Amino acid sequence: MSFPVEKRQGFLVVMLAGEVDLSRSPEARKVIMKALKKMHSVMVDMSRVEYIDSSGVASLVEGFQYARSNNLEFALAGVSEAAMNVLRLARLDQVFPIYASLEARLEAGA
Amino acid sequence: MPGVWILDPAPRMQNQSLMEDAVTATGIRPSDLPAPPKGAIRIVQACSRDGVDSGDLAAIVTNDPILTAELLRVANSAYFGLVSQVRSVPRAVAILGNRALRNLMLCISMRDALRAESIPGFDIEAYWEDALRRAVSARSLAAVAALDADECFTVGLLQDFGLLVMLYLNPQQVGHWQALARATPEARRELELELFHTSHDQVGLMLATNWGLPSDLGAAMGYHHEGPAEDTPQQGLSLRQVAACADWMAAVYRCDDKREAIQQTRTLLMTNFAVAAEQCDALLQSVSESLAEAATAMGMRVGEQIPFEGVLREANLRLAEENLSYQELTWRLEQTLAERNQIAGELQRELQLAREVQKSLLPASMLLPGISGLNLSARAVSGDFYDYYQLTDGRVAFCLADVSGKGMHAALLMAKTASLFRCLGKGIQEPGKLLAMLNREIFETSVRGMFVTMLAGVLDPSSGRVTLSSAGHLPALHLGGGALIAEYPAQAPPLGVNPDSLFPSDTFELRGGCLYLYTDGLLEAYVGDRRLEHDGLMRLLLQHAHLPLGKRAQAIAAAARNSNGGVEDDLTLVIIEDCGSHVRQ
Repeated sequence: MSFPVEKRQGFLVVMLAGEVDLSRSPEARKVIMKALKKMHSVMVDMSRVEYIDSSGVASLVEGFQYARSNNLEFALAGVSEAAMNVLRLARLDQVFPIYASLEARLEAGA
Repeated sequence: MPGVWILDPAPRMQNQSLMEDAVTATGIRPSDLPAPPKGAIRIVQACSRDGVDSGDLAAIVTNDPILTAELLRVANSAYFGLVSQVRSVPRAVAILGNRALRNLMLCISMRDALRAESIPGFDIEAYWEDALRRAVSARSLAAVAALDADECFTVGLLQDFGLLVMLYLNPQQVGHWQALARATPEARRELELELFHTSHDQVGLMLATNWGLPSDLGAAMGYHHEGPAEDTPQQGLSLRQVAACADWMAAVYRCDDKREAIQQTRTLLMTNFAVAAEQCDALLQSVSESLAEAATAMGMRVGEQIPFEGVLREANLRLAEENLSYQELTWRLEQTLAERNQIAGELQRELQLAREVQKSLLPASMLLPGISGLNLSARAVSGDFYDYYQLTDGRVAFCLADVSGKGMHAALLMAKTASLFRCLGKGIQEPGKLLAMLNREIFETSVRGMFVTMLAGVLDPSSGRVTLSSAGHLPALHLGGGALIAEYPAQAPPLGVNPDSLFPSDTFELRGGCLYLYTDGLLEAYVGDRRLEHDGLMRLLLQHAHLPLGKRAQAIAAAARNSNGGVEDDLTLVIIEDCGSHVRQ
């Protein structure tokens, strides 16, 4: 099953959920990269991610690197505790722009 | 509409509602239909009247000189052979009887109804040869169906006349004639629906209704594929069955799939008329034998006929070919499986080689005092690695790393990182600086967001001092005296993520304790039914702290192995011991 994507106020929001592991990270990567090629600003809603492994994190890193080299916006929002622990341990919380929630970024405006 | 019909249109609606249904089904208006052959229709109408006088019939026929000549020729032919030769119409009418006269007149009229030039580019003779074969087939069934032979012949000749009408109305579809001719009856009807959005039986029924043909003849024309609705009278059932069988009998000689046509003919003849296979084959044989004679009688031209034995041979040959194809398919499948096994074997050998190369990247066991490492891979190749070596000043450089993802691409990045560490680490002895250099190198060639988490450090065995830097790796654990002394979590992100990352270092002394570096394969391993996680790992390490260094890593890993003796994820562990502490004390 693919991860849903929604358009919200000028953002494409990719909604990752469940276990983003070796079996599902190729799909996550595909959805994220497709969104970045379609829209200038992409947010990844991670509020429903229960587990993420290094392959799942790699799909976020790829999105981040692509956005950076193409002057696009790529951010994570509402990161679940399980996912946040992984990002924090790897100090990736210093790398990704992270917002408390989707709304927090939307309210901030352009 | 081209004026190809002999007579003017004179549509006569026998059944208005039936006609409306037919218009709905075919999409053809009655006015689009070819005009009926007037002379024949007059005979048909006259014959259906009770107490019709043979003199009147003879008068109607005589009124049309072409019809008269044809009637005498056909009636005197060997195929329809009368007992004695007849030279006058009244005599022919008297000998033939009303019904036979009607049928003969219909056959003659329909044959001439559409001329070759009315459907440009169409081989009308080929159509009539096919129709004649159905007529002969139907006639051959008269005895088993207990029906009049000429009546059967007429049904066979007219049952697919709708196809000719459809081609006449849609001459742009003439190019599909060969495909129509080679198809089995059911497939042909499907193709007709595709090409004309109606079928010959629907058009045939409309035509029969419009022209006022006898109802049983109309029923045979209209319902030899599908029966009428259940609430309508089941007219001329035997005649319809004869028509359905004749369709398949003719197909035996015409269609590509002769085997199916023979099989279907045998089934139909058995079901409808209890005709056994042998008798069915004899009837089929009679079709090819009688065709030329019937053609002569009807004044039609037919090509050279293949005898039924020839058709049977062709069908059997095809069956043999299919069997051969099946054998060939089996052979190819076996070949493919053999190739697959060969490739799998080669891949396995390649993986084994890759595994050996990877192992060679790891340091030999207990190469140096005070440091020990272990790597268990969940797959053939691993994305984890560790390394240590002595620097020129006697200190020991060490690292432990984990590449994101699994499989060959992770193993290749692992090999690259391990080589860079060994190569650059001898020159850049400050762990933070070394990681910054590795980070830039890996970032430059990074693909698909792959990254490496790494702990890199330098141990001074004489002082027990360690300088440690972490790129996004799990915290190193400093244990001693049966407790945790300190944890050293990452202060920078993994290698390959951000080229500008800075990698701070921690410097501390082991003070008789041990430093444990590990990958998530150990942290997430199950011991019993529970994942180790942070606290479980701590307990496990402390439980084994008393073991000599050479045995400790193995014992810890053994506790984390699954019931099959393997590991769920790549598992790597490095233990650095303060081996000089007793000298310092």
